[in-house]
Amino acid sequence: MNRGTRATMRLHEPSDGAALVRRLLSRLGFYLFAVVVGAYFAVPMLWLVFAPFDAHPTLAAVPPSAFTMGNFWDLLKDPYALPSLLNSILLAVATMALVVALAAPAAYALSRVRIPGRDLLLYVLLLFSSVVTGTAAMVPLFLLVFELGLINTYLGVVLVLAGGLIPAGIFILKDFMDSMPRSYEESARVFGASSLQILRDIVLPYARPGLAVIAVWVIVNVWSNFLIPFILLRSPSSQPAAVVVYNFYTEGGQADLRLISAFGLLYSIPVVVMYLFVNRRYGFRFYGGLKG
Amino acid sequence: MADVEIRGLTKVFPGGVHALDGLNLHIEDGEFFALLGPSGCGKTTLLRTIAGLEASTSGQVFIGGRDVTRLPPSARDVGMVFQDYALYPHMTVADNIGYPLKIRRVAKAERRRTAESVGGSLQIQALLDRRPGQLSGGQQQRVALARVIAYRPRVFLFDEPLSNLDARMRLEARTFLKQLQRELGITTIYVTHDQAEALAMADRMAVMEKGHIRQLDTPTACFRRSANLFVAGFIGSTPMNLLPATVVDGSLEVAGCRLPIPDAARPHVTSAEKVILGARPEYMTLSVAEVPGALTGTVRILENLGVDTLVTVDVGELRVQATVPDESMPTPGDRVWLTPDPRHVLLYRQDDGEQVSARRQAEDMSAEAPPAVDRTAR
Repeated sequence: MNRGTRATMRLHEPSDGAALVRRLLSRLGFYLFAVVVGAYFAVPMLWLVFAPFDAHPTLAAVPPSAFTMGNFWDLLKDPYALPSLLNSILLAVATMALVVALAAPAAYALSRVRIPGRDLLLYVLLLFSSVVTGTAAMVPLFLLVFELGLINTYLGVVLVLAGGLIPAGIFILKDFMDSMPRSYEESARVFGASSLQILRDIVLPYARPGLAVIAVWVIVNVWSNFLIPFILLRSPSSQPAAVVVYNFYTEGGQADLRLISAFGLLYSIPVVVMYLFVNRRYGFRFYGGLKG
Repeated sequence: MADVEIRGLTKVFPGGVHALDGLNLHIEDGEFFALLGPSGCGKTTLLRTIAGLEASTSGQVFIGGRDVTRLPPSARDVGMVFQDYALYPHMTVADNIGYPLKIRRVAKAERRRTAESVGGSLQIQALLDRRPGQLSGGQQQRVALARVIAYRPRVFLFDEPLSNLDARMRLEARTFLKQLQRELGITTIYVTHDQAEALAMADRMAVMEKGHIRQLDTPTACFRRSANLFVAGFIGSTPMNLLPATVVDGSLEVAGCRLPIPDAARPHVTSAEKVILGARPEYMTLSVAEVPGALTGTVRILENLGVDTLVTVDVGELRVQATVPDESMPTPGDRVWLTPDPRHVLLYRQDDGEQVSARRQAEDMSAEAPPAVDRTAR
């Protein structure tokens, strides 16, 4: 501010000076806004890094007053904590495998076959998929899974989760496959390749970055999903991490921040590691287009 | 090895576009056959129908005497090179070349050996472990050729394989491709929109327009004795002179000048008939001294073609072009006389654009009733 006015006086050009001040102010405003937004996102991360190592964590993101690894040792004593992470991995990987295995051929078919109303079909599927895993469909979903005798089985959870994710998966993968030149398949067909051979040898390798995107996206979705496993799984030992984290209460009924923060850190590590690995190995390519 | 026969082939696309209209064609075993025409003439559709990538609306395709009309591409034993080469970006060059063999369940070591031997004969053996993205256009083109050769089909189908190369590379690849075809002796159908390419490479060619074959002959015949105005205008690096003429007293009046009627055309014209005279710039003689029975006018523009110069002359209202060797070069503004070589003058009817000697026929340009090219005109 001060510098702005001094600059104005030196220039002896009031109109230019006013513009300069306005520019500086808008700059300042922008930085302030960026700092606030940045802090809004950074503070929870800081808390996640600090709190697990604090003997008496609070909800404030401050460096540990008394450093300890005790929180993690206490977590190990909990019978459900570590197994729940394994349960999460199992659910996530199984759902991912099912979604990729079904969405890839479906996307290929929808990308190559011209049927009337194809795009409408895709959009309707996409619309319903958000309903399937949404709160609104919980009662019918529960009843359906109950009738199928799949309550308290991973199969039930995986089927429901996959059902909700496949349409969006098809939608994203179809864009990748649309971008593949037709001559690739046609030349393979002239050489005598069957549709399945073309899918395996040419289409899937070509769409690999798209498959990586879908795989990571499915895993992250399942990893953070609370509602479906919470409703469909009854026994505590089979619950995934997203559900188990709600069990960490003290005898007094207070949220046990020591366990929650330590568990939160463990819970976030696999996703971060996976993201780094996939990004390194395959590279996320979004130019296939996420126009949804 | 096999011949290819097309009988009454028609392809109608949804929307009613006749891409192919009752085509008949016979391509000999071991022949290098070019399909030439402007874009949208149906040449690529014809090639894709022979490959089995498009289903014909009616008509039949025979390869080696066998009716393949209803067979899938894999059962036709044809190998195709696409305009964009269709090399798989995730496979190495060796894997690309070996892919047709992989489909035939040939063992990996054997595939590698084939890739090495075929790659060696095309001078790409050093590139076998690279990926297509790391190759130049010319190298990619050779990989595509190597792949189709490794497949050992009975017929090669080439869809404008040189159009993605720059001009210099295209000339080299042209020679290379023709030599390769001679060595392998495999029947080759080659689609192109570049008339120079077709003239240079083909044993025979079909000039196509709007789903019809307008002329089916050797490149020399198509060039020298273009059957109709379409072929006359399409073939030739420098456009043919097409001049409106009137038959007057046993000679042709063109822009106030008198030219003799070519002997071969004489019986087919009547007095006062209006015709189109066709004469290629290559078959025009330019003179600075007066010549009887010649077109006369003023030199307007000179264009250097390398060895020759293309001279544009204003003859009355018309523009006439002639190629002239360097030594007898006029200058713009000169009055000159142009004599078309009477052996290479063609006369076309004004109404249907066919040669005056051609039979009047009901739009049948097919191979079984070849357009009556004037064989005596030579």
